[in-house]
Amino acid sequence: MDGHASAVRPAPVEIRGLGYAYGEGELRRPVLRDIDLTIRPGEIVLLTGPSGSGKTTLLTLIGALRAMQEGSCRVLGQELMGASEAQRVQLRRQIGFIFQQHNLLGFLTAQQNVAMAIELDPRTTEAGRLERATAMLAAVGLGDRGASLPSELSGGQRQRVAVARALAGEPGLILADEPTAALDRQSGGEVVRLLRELAKRRGVPILLVTHDPRILDLADRIVSMEDGRIVPTKQAEGVPAA
Amino acid sequence: MNVQAREAPAPPGFLPWAPELTGEAGPPPEPRAPRGRPGAALYLPLRLAWRQLRAEKARLASAIAGVMFACVLVFMQLGFRSALFDSATALLASFRADVFLMHPMTQVSFKPEMLPRVRASQALALPEVQATVPVYLAQATWRNPESGARRAVQLVGFDVEAGVMDFPGLAPLIETLKRPDTMVFDRRSRPEFGPVPKLLAERGPFEVQVANRQMEVVGLIEIGPSFGADGNVVMSETNFRRLVKERQVSQVDLIAIRLVPGADREAAVARLRQVLPPDVTVLGGPDLVKHERDYWESATPIGFIFMFGSIMGLIVGMVIVYQILFSDIASHLKEYATLKAMGYSNFYLGRAVLSAAFILALLGFLPGFALSTFLYDVVGKSTFLPLAMDAPRALAVFGMIFTMCGLAGLLAMRKLRDANPADMF
Ligand SMILES: Nc1ncnc2c1ncn2[C@@H]1O[C@H](COP(=O)(O)OP(=O)(O)OP(=O)(O)O)[C@@H](O)[C@H]1O
Ligand SMILES: [Mg+2]
Repeated sequence: MDGHASAVRPAPVEIRGLGYAYGEGELRRPVLRDIDLTIRPGEIVLLTGPSGSGKTTLLTLIGALRAMQEGSCRVLGQELMGASEAQRVQLRRQIGFIFQQHNLLGFLTAQQNVAMAIELDPRTTEAGRLERATAMLAAVGLGDRGASLPSELSGGQRQRVAVARALAGEPGLILADEPTAALDRQSGGEVVRLLRELAKRRGVPILLVTHDPRILDLADRIVSMEDGRIVPTKQAEGVPAA
Repeated sequence: MNVQAREAPAPPGFLPWAPELTGEAGPPPEPRAPRGRPGAALYLPLRLAWRQLRAEKARLASAIAGVMFACVLVFMQLGFRSALFDSATALLASFRADVFLMHPMTQVSFKPEMLPRVRASQALALPEVQATVPVYLAQATWRNPESGARRAVQLVGFDVEAGVMDFPGLAPLIETLKRPDTMVFDRRSRPEFGPVPKLLAERGPFEVQVANRQMEVVGLIEIGPSFGADGNVVMSETNFRRLVKERQVSQVDLIAIRLVPGADREAAVARLRQVLPPDVTVLGGPDLVKHERDYWESATPIGFIFMFGSIMGLIVGMVIVYQILFSDIASHLKEYATLKAMGYSNFYLGRAVLSAAFILALLGFLPGFALSTFLYDVVGKSTFLPLAMDAPRALAVFGMIFTMCGLAGLLAMRKLRDANPADMF
C-alpha cells in the first residue's frame, strides 16, 4: 500500500466506536458494538464472519441506508451520525451498491438499468448517459447485450450488469453484500474478479461481505466479525491480515 | 501569479478555521454543477413511470379500462343532467326576444301567473323598446291523429307578425298562420303525439283535434320537449283565443320585448324596472332561462341525482387506479428500494407514481371521450334528449379524471414508504 498517498487523501470510510441495536425497550438487542474500521483509498476490504455477526447491518450503516445510533461514521467526507435523510440520500448517489440479488428493474433494458445510476446527475445528458452505460456494459463483457431485458440474461450476466450499474456513477465507494451468493462457482468468481479489476483501475475502494472462501484472495485486507465486534483475522495462506 | 499556483491561497471571505482552509471535510464539498434542465426533474420520472406501465400490458389495459369507465360514466351523468335542464328550458330558450316581463309569482313557465296586458303598452313608452308582444301559454289535450290517444300539449299564442318572437322554422309560415284555426307543430315533440312530420309530408296540412276543436297543422318548427310539456304547438294570438275561450284577453302570461338595435339590455332592464309597477318582474332573455332552470334544480332532485352518479363514477375509477398503482408498487418494492439505495429520493419516486397516475388519466380519458361522444349520439337519438359534447364539459371531465387519478396516485404513494433500502442486503 502506498502509505504516503493514503495520508494525503482522506479515508473514504472512517468508523469510530460505532454501535447499533435493533428493537426498542425490552426487545432492544445490540448487534454491533464498538466498531472501529478504516478503509483507505483504493483498498479492497473483505468482511467475513459467521451468520448473524452483523456484517450486513454494518454495510447498511456505511451505505447510509440506515440511521446511525452511536459512534461516528464518516463516509466520503460525510459524517453519518445525525445526518438528515436528505444528506443520506445525497451520499448514496456517490456509493455503488451490489446486492445479493441483482435487483435490476425488470422493465428496463440492461443499458437503461445502468443509465439509471447516472440519471440523477443533472450534468449528464441522455445521449451521454447511454454512451456511458454502453461503455460500462462493454467493460463487464456485455457490450452486445445492452438491449436485453434482465429476464433475457443469465444470472451471471445480470450480476455483471449490476456491477456495471454500481460503477457507472463513478462512485467513491462500492459496497457489496455476498454478490456471489446467488451464482454458481464459476460465474461468481468471474463477477468478483471483474469487479476487483474495474475498481482497481479506477481506484475505487470496495467493502465486500462474503462467506465464500474462494474469493478471499481478492482482498487487500480481510476483516472478520464475530458477535457484533471486529476480531483479529486468522491468518490464511497468501492473504494479508488486517 | 505563480504564487497562486503553488500554495492554495486563502480565498477571500473565509474565516481562518473554515473547513475549506483547514482541509477538514465539513459539509460534503458538492461538486454539483448548476441544476440541469428543469424539465428533466419532471420528464425523467414520467419516462420511468411510462416504461413501467408499458411493461405490463394486461395491467395497463385494465387500468385504462377503469379510467375509461369512470370517464364515460361521468360524461353520461353530466350529459343527462345538462340535457334534462336544457330540455326543461327548451321552450323559453327558443323565445328569441331581448327582455321579458312576467308575474313576480311565476315560478315556472308551464304554471304561469298572469299579468296585465297593459304592461306591454306601458313598456313601449321607453325609447329603447322597439316592440312588445304579449304571449299566451296554456296546456290543452291533443288527440293523436293516428291512434286517437290523448296527450297534453303546450300551446303558445302570440302576435306572429310582430317579429318579436321567433322559432327556428317559423318565418316562412307566418302568412299561413294568419288563417283561422291553424297552428304549427314542434317536430321535436315526443313521438306519442303521432307521426306529424310524416303525415304532413304525405298529405300536406291536415286536421288534428286540440282541446276538442279541429285545428289545422300547417307546418313544423323546432323547440323540443321539456319537463312541463312533451310537445309544443305555436299559433297566432287570435287562434289561441278561439281555442282557449275562457282566457281573458287582458291577462297574459308573458310579455316579450324587442329593443331597438344597439340598445344596452342591462340598462333597458333597469329602466323598465323603474317605470313599471311592482306587479311585473323584468328579466333579460338569459335570466329568464336561468330562472326556469333554477326552478328545476331546486324543486327536483335531478341535479343531486346526477351529481351523485358522477361522484360514484369518480370514486370507482379512483379505487381502480389506486389498486393498480398500489399493486404496481407492491410488486416492485425491491426495485423501488434499489432505486432508493442508488440515491433516488422518496420525492422523486413519488413523482414517478403521480406521473403514472396522470398517464393513466390521459390514456383513459381519450378513449372515454371518444366513446362518450359516440354514446351521446346514440342515446340522444333514442331518448330525444339534446346530448352534445362540448369543449367546456370535456375540459371539466378531464379535470375531474385528472384529479381522480392524482388522488389515487397520492394514496398509492404511501406504499413507497415500505420500500426500505436497508432491507435490500
Ligand atoms: N431488521 C432487523 N430487525 C431486527 N433484527 C435484525 C434485523 N436485521 C438483522 N437483525 C439481527 O441482527 C443480527 C445481525 O444481522 P446481520 O444481517 O447484520 O448479520 P450478517 O452478519 O449479515 O449475517 P449473514 O451472514 O447471515 O447475512 C442478527 O442477529 C439478526 O437477527
Ligand atoms: Mg448478511
